[in-house]
Amino acid sequence: MASDSKKSPGATFELERGYRRMIIPAIIAVAVFAIVPLAGMLALSFSDYHLIRGSNGEIGFRNFIKIVNDKRLINSVYVMAVLSLFGVAAQVIIGTAVAVGLQKIVGKWRLGRVLFLVPYAVPHVAVALIWLSLFTPTLSPVNAFFDVFGITVPSFLTSQNGALFAIILADTWTNFPFTMLIILAALQGISPDLDEAAALDGATRVKTFLYVTVPLLLPALLMVTLFRFIDSLKHFPMIYVMTKGGPGRSTQATNYYAYVQTFQNSNVAYGAAVAVLLFLMAALISFYVAKLNQRVAS
Amino acid sequence: MIDRSAEFRFKRSLGLTMMLVLLAFAALPTVWVLILSIREQSAIFEPIWESPLAVTLDNFFKITRSDFPKALMNSFITAGMSTILAMLVGVPAGFALAKSRVSGKFIASWILLLLRMAPPVGFVIPLFLLYVNAGLIDTYTGLIFAYMTLTLPLIVWSMWNSFSQVPDELIEAAIMDGASLSKAFLLIALPAARPGAVAAAILGFLVAWNDFFYALIITRSSTSTAPVAVMNFISYDSVDWASIAVASIALTLPILPLMAIANRYIVQSLSGAVKG
Repeated sequence: MASDSKKSPGATFELERGYRRMIIPAIIAVAVFAIVPLAGMLALSFSDYHLIRGSNGEIGFRNFIKIVNDKRLINSVYVMAVLSLFGVAAQVIIGTAVAVGLQKIVGKWRLGRVLFLVPYAVPHVAVALIWLSLFTPTLSPVNAFFDVFGITVPSFLTSQNGALFAIILADTWTNFPFTMLIILAALQGISPDLDEAAALDGATRVKTFLYVTVPLLLPALLMVTLFRFIDSLKHFPMIYVMTKGGPGRSTQATNYYAYVQTFQNSNVAYGAAVAVLLFLMAALISFYVAKLNQRVAS
Repeated sequence: MIDRSAEFRFKRSLGLTMMLVLLAFAALPTVWVLILSIREQSAIFEPIWESPLAVTLDNFFKITRSDFPKALMNSFITAGMSTILAMLVGVPAGFALAKSRVSGKFIASWILLLLRMAPPVGFVIPLFLLYVNAGLIDTYTGLIFAYMTLTLPLIVWSMWNSFSQVPDELIEAAIMDGASLSKAFLLIALPAARPGAVAAAILGFLVAWNDFFYALIITRSSTSTAPVAVMNFISYDSVDWASIAVASIALTLPILPLMAIANRYIVQSLSGAVKG
C-alpha cells in the first residue's frame, strides 16, 4: 500500500475502527464482570429478597425508607466517619512526615525507603492478625513490657473507643507508606532551585517548607486524601478479624453492616440497599477525581 | 553564627529522632511477627526476655502439614489467572484509549475509577446469588471471574496511563511506514510501555492476592485462598498464634519482591495528577 493513502480520511477512519476493535473486548468484560453485578445490586435493593424466605415479588422503595430510620445504619455511618477521618488524617500526616524526612533529613537512604514500605506489602488479613496479637493482653509484648513496671495496659479491643483506635492504628500502619510513596514522588518533582531561591531571599527552612513546598504538594495531597478516603469506606478485613464489629456495634462500619445484614441476617435486599448507598458515595467521589484528573491531563 | 548552627543541629537531631520513632512504628510489628513465628509453642505467652532461647523452626514445618500450602496455591492460581485474563483484555484497551480519538473518554475514565472505588459488598451480593444458582461457589472459575472486577479496571487504567507516555509520533511513523495497527501496537507501543505493563500486571496480582472479602463469601474449603485459610488457625477455644505468624510471613513474602519492582509505578498508576 502506498504510504500517502494512509493520510486520507478513509485511512483515519480505518485506524479508528482498529482502535475500537481493541476496546470492545474490554467493554464486554467490564459489562459482564462489573456492570451486570452492579445492576443486580440495584435490582435487589428494590426487592424484598431474603436468603432463606426468598421473595414475595414486592418491589418498591421500602428498603430505602428503612435506611433513613435505621439507628444501626446511622451508627454505622458514624463509625465509618470516625474510622475514615482519623485514619486518613493519620496516614496523610505520617506518610507526609516520613516522605519529607526521607527527602530532606536522611537524604538518599534506599534501605530506609524499603523499610518504610514493608507494612504496605503485608496483606490486610495479616495486618489485622498482627495487630490483633499486639492487642491481645495475654500475648502482646507491649503488655508484657509495661507489666515489668507494674503498669497494666488496658484491653483496647473490649472498650468502644479502644477498639476504634486499634483499627485506626492497624489501618494507619499498613497504609501510611502509600501516602509516603506519592508525596516522595511529588517532592522529587519539585525543583531544588526553588528552595535555593527562597533561601537566598532569606527564608528559613521551615518557612520555605510551609510557603514553597507545601503549596506545590497540595495536588498530590488532595489526590492521596481522596484515594485513601474512598478506600477507608471499604473497611472490612480489620473489622472482621479484630473486632467483628464489636464491642456491641461500636466498630460496625457501613460496609461491614451491609455484610452483616446480607450474610448473617440473610436480609439480602436490605444489604443491597446499604451497598447502593455506599456505591453512590463512591460514584460522587470518583466523578470528582476523574474531573481532577482530566483537568491535570489537559 | 555559632548560635544558628547549634539551632540547626538541634532541629536536625529533632528531625532524626522523629524519623527513628516513625521507623520503629513501621518496623517493630514486623519484627514481632518474625519473633512470634520462631517461638516455641510452650513459650508463646511468656515475655520474650524470660525465655529468649525458646526458639524453634517447628512452626514452619507444622504449617506445611496443614491446609495452608494448598490455600497459598489457590491464591497463586486465582490471582495469577485473573491477572493474565485482565492483561489480555486490558492492555489493548489501554492502548486504544490512550491513542485513539474515540469519544467518551471521560466517561470511560470515570467508570474505571468508580469500579476501583466501588465497595466490593455491592458486587458480591449479586455474584453470590448468581454463583449459588450457577454452581460456581467454591470454584476457581467463580473466583477468577470475581477477581476480574478488581484487576481489569486497574490494569486498563494503568495501561492507559503508560501508553499516554509513549509518543504519538512513534505509532504514527510506524503506520506511515505501512505497519498495521496491531503491528504498531505489538512491535512499537508495547515494547515502549513494557515497564508500565510489568507494573500493571504486578498491581493487578497484588489486589487479587490481597483480597479477603470475595474469597470469604464465594469460596468454601476446596478453593479458599490463603487470606481466608489463615482464619482457620483461630478456633473457638484457642488461637494458634505461631501458625498465624508463619502464615502472615508466607502471605507477605511473595509480595515483597513485586513491591520492590513496582513501587515507583504505584504512583503513576494512581492517576495522571500525581506524576510529579
